[in-house]
Amino acid sequence: MVTLTIDGRVAKVPAGATVLDAARAIGVRIPTLCQHEALEPWGGCRLCLVDVTKKEWRGWQKMVVSCMFPAEDGLAVATATERVVATRKVVLDLLLARCPDTPLVQRLAHEHGIERTSYQPNPEPTDCVLCGLCTRVCDSIGVSAIATVDRGAGKEVAPPFHQPPPDCIGCLACAEVCPTDCIPYQTSDSARSIWGKTFTMVRCPHCGRAHITREQAAFYAGRGGVPESYFETCDACKRTQMAKTFTSLSAVR
Amino acid sequence: MNGRTCVDTAPLDEILTRYPASEAALIQVLQDVHRAYHYLPCDVLVKVAEALEVPLAKVFSVGTFYKAFSLVPQGRTIVRVCTGTACHIRGADRLIEEFERELKIKPGETTADMGFTVKTVNCVGACAMAPVVIVGETYHGGAEPAKVAKYIAEKEADHEN
Ligand code: SF4
Ligand code: SF4
Ligand code: FES
Ligand code: FES
Repeated sequence: MVTLTIDGRVAKVPAGATVLDAARAIGVRIPTLCQHEALEPWGGCRLCLVDVTKKEWRGWQKMVVSCMFPAEDGLAVATATERVVATRKVVLDLLLARCPDTPLVQRLAHEHGIERTSYQPNPEPTDCVLCGLCTRVCDSIGVSAIATVDRGAGKEVAPPFHQPPPDCIGCLACAEVCPTDCIPYQTSDSARSIWGKTFTMVRCPHCGRAHITREQAAFYAGRGGVPESYFETCDACKRTQMAKTFTSLSAVR
Repeated sequence: MNGRTCVDTAPLDEILTRYPASEAALIQVLQDVHRAYHYLPCDVLVKVAEALEVPLAKVFSVGTFYKAFSLVPQGRTIVRVCTGTACHIRGADRLIEEFERELKIKPGETTADMGFTVKTVNCVGACAMAPVVIVGETYHGGAEPAKVAKYIAEKEADHEN
């Protein structure tokens, strides 16, 4: 365990925890945008900035992203110093210029006293805050069907050549993780589409629910060395079957 | 898109023999591809992804990130006219006009015979020689509009060899 202070309050967290983990553990709120518990921290949005110092640093302090900075013994964290607040405001001001119509960005900016961006608002407003959660979740499942394209103001998330991505399995993880819900998709009992690619749904042979795409079943089967048919039965029916098996087993006994 | 144009893959095959099948080689391979084809053809990118076992989305991401890479065909020789502050003050505009007149294209465009592409760049770090024009790999410091025709002719002679 390591012991540190956050805004003067003591936090004890397991070694390996980040400053953000420690803050959350004692209920100190730090705004974040690109952080997700299921993914490795990335440090891209810079919203979670805090000041850190130590006694032996003799008054010297540095601004770090709390989602990546490891909690250490004796660390003193300040989440709302003047310069932290000022820097966070610049980040939000810029985000609001990029995404002037996005409710999440408007809300975060409002919480920091910004109602309107002081920069030139984006002439082509987008809801994408470039948090990279979608591309990282797609990487984490081992697919990497989408990535950021271009640089600077023109940077966006897109499939290769802006065409339906050949590698996409239609799992919708990217759309689900997106904090601004800006990845459109459609899903029904018979078909699903995302990134311009259309998928056929697999129906559970027991309950008839369309719960997975053909491509997902094939991908999971290939990865796990389990036959594709295993993934045709939905999780709920698998559980029911399992329960039945156990009941009959105990009846035998 | 795939299959739209069919480029000769022999130069790519040769490039790939020189690198290990690893993501670490991606940028170098793309640089060599760019040198051989003067742009990054999409079907070549698909093959690079397969050969290096890198997701196609990553290859496209890298290919669109760097200004040195183009996804549209470019001329055999790239003319870069520096429009950084020093070169701007010393008459970059007149150089651009002269290239426009000689090649009949605007910055960002390519001549119909695919010989030249003209681009503007922001300071190439040779301000003492301003104004600077780079034709292919040749730097012309103290460039003069009156010599633009000569700069082009020198390269055209190379193209013929
Ligand atoms: S739906 Fe496609 S792009 Fe999105 S996470 Fe799944 S595989 Fe990746
Ligand atoms: S599409 Fe959504 S998840 Fe992806 S970078 Fe943009 S805001 Fe983040
Ligand atoms: S949450 Fe830490 S940088 Fe985005
Ligand atoms: S401005 Fe042209 S080289 Fe610096």
